[in-house]
Amino acid sequence: MEIKKTAIAGTLESSDVQIMLSAGTNGFEFELESDVAKQFGDQIKETISNVLGMYDIKDAKIKVVDKGALDLVIKARAIAAVQRALDIVDAPKWEVL
Amino acid sequence: MDERIQDIYLSNKSAKDQWMNFLKKRGIGNFAENETKFIEQTIGIFADDGSLIATGSLANNVIKYVAVCDLGAQSKGARFNKIISELESRLALLDRFHYFVFTKPEYQLSFEYVGFRTLAATEFGVILEKGTPNITEYLAKIPRFDNGKVASIVMNANPFTNGHRYLVEKAAKENEHVYVFVVSQDSSLFKTSERFELVKKGTADLKNVTVVSGGDYMVSFVSFPSYFIKNADEIIKYQTMLDARIFKTQIIQPLRITSRYLGSEPLSHTTNLYNDALTQELSDKIDVVIVDRLQIDKEVVSATKVRRAIAENKINQCLEYIPKTTATYILENLEELQLRIKKGQKIDGN
Repeated sequence: MEIKKTAIAGTLESSDVQIMLSAGTNGFEFELESDVAKQFGDQIKETISNVLGMYDIKDAKIKVVDKGALDLVIKARAIAAVQRALDIVDAPKWEVL
Repeated sequence: MDERIQDIYLSNKSAKDQWMNFLKKRGIGNFAENETKFIEQTIGIFADDGSLIATGSLANNVIKYVAVCDLGAQSKGARFNKIISELESRLALLDRFHYFVFTKPEYQLSFEYVGFRTLAATEFGVILEKGTPNITEYLAKIPRFDNGKVASIVMNANPFTNGHRYLVEKAAKENEHVYVFVVSQDSSLFKTSERFELVKKGTADLKNVTVVSGGDYMVSFVSFPSYFIKNADEIIKYQTMLDARIFKTQIIQPLRITSRYLGSEPLSHTTNLYNDALTQELSDKIDVVIVDRLQIDKEVVSATKVRRAIAENKINQCLEYIPKTTATYILENLEELQLRIKKGQKIDGN
C-alpha cells in the first residue's frame, strides 16, 4: 500500500506518543524524539514498523515524538495514523485490528 | 481539575483583553497589526475561576503567541505540551503538516522537547520547524555539485530584469556553478510561479545556472514574526540576522556553496541593512560579493520601475530594463497585471 497523504495521530501529553506519517521512497525512515530513545528506541520503531507491515506499507517517513507511551498506546496511535494516511478511516481493515 | 482547551475569540473585546494581559505578564507585549491580523485561531486553557492559564495561536503555518503558566499544573510542561498538541491537530485538520515557531531563546528547549528542530538562533529569537517536508527533505531535492566554486543568489525577481540577469551572468562567469534561489512567498505583483518561470527563461542560455525554489527557507525576512520583541530597532536586526543564519547553518554546507552574490542597494534602506547583516554573518564561511547595480543611462535598473511602468501603461519606456522573455510575458499579460494593481496589489517595496 502506498501512503496517499500525510497524517498525524496522538498527542504530546505524558504517556502518549505523536506519530506523523508521510510518503517515502526509501523504506522506513524514522525520526524519533524520546527521553527513553536509548533504552526503548528500537522497540518503539519495531512496534510502529509492525503496524505498517500489517497494512503492507513498504515506504514511509515516520516522525515520532514519544512521551513515555506504553506499547499498546504506540500501536493504537500507529494504527490511527495509518488509517488516516491511507484514507481508510471509514473502512478500517478489521483483520489488522 | 479538568483542564480543557477552549477557543478564544479575539473579536470579543473582553476575551482579547484577558488574552493580552496574560501575554504581557509573560513578556510578550507586541500586538502590532502586522503580527495579529493573520491569526486564524487562538486557544486557551482556563482555570476553574475563569482565569487564563495557557494559550497559543495559529497564523498560516506558524504557531505564535504561546504562553503558559505552570502554577498548579500536574507537571511542568504539561500545559505547554497540551497547547502545542492541540495546535498541531488543528493544523493537521487544515492539511498543514509543516510548520514553524518563532520564539524567545529561552523557549527553544521546550519546543525541541516536543519534536521541533532549530533552524537558526540569534540572541533575540529563534526559528524552529516541525513536520514534513522539512529542511532535509527540501535540500534532498536540489541537485548537488561535487566540485568547483558554487555561487548562490537569492532573488524575488518581481519581475526578472536585466539587473538580475547582470548579477547572474557575473556569478556564472566567476564560478563553476550558480544556484539562483527564487523567493517563494506569494505576495508580489508577479505570482511565485510566474517569477520562477521568468527567472528560468531569462537564464536558460547559461548552462551552469540552476534555478531552484527558495521553499520555506528563503522568504522575505520582514515576514518573520517578531511579536515577542518590544524594541523596533531590534526587530529589523533580529529579522535580518535570523535570515542570514538560516542560510549559513542550513543551506551552505549541504550544497557546498562557496559564495553569495548580492546587488548593491542604493535605493532601499532596509535592503541595505539586510546586505550588511548578510556580510557580517556569512563572511567567515563564504565569500560575500556585492555587485554594483546595473545602470542604463545613469539610471539604476530596478524591478520597482518596471512595475510602475506596468501600472502607468508605459511599458515601452522600460523595455531596455528587461530581457525579451520578461517583456514578452508582460505584454501578453498586461491587462491581467494591471487588473491586479487595480485590485490593490502593492507595487512599491519588493
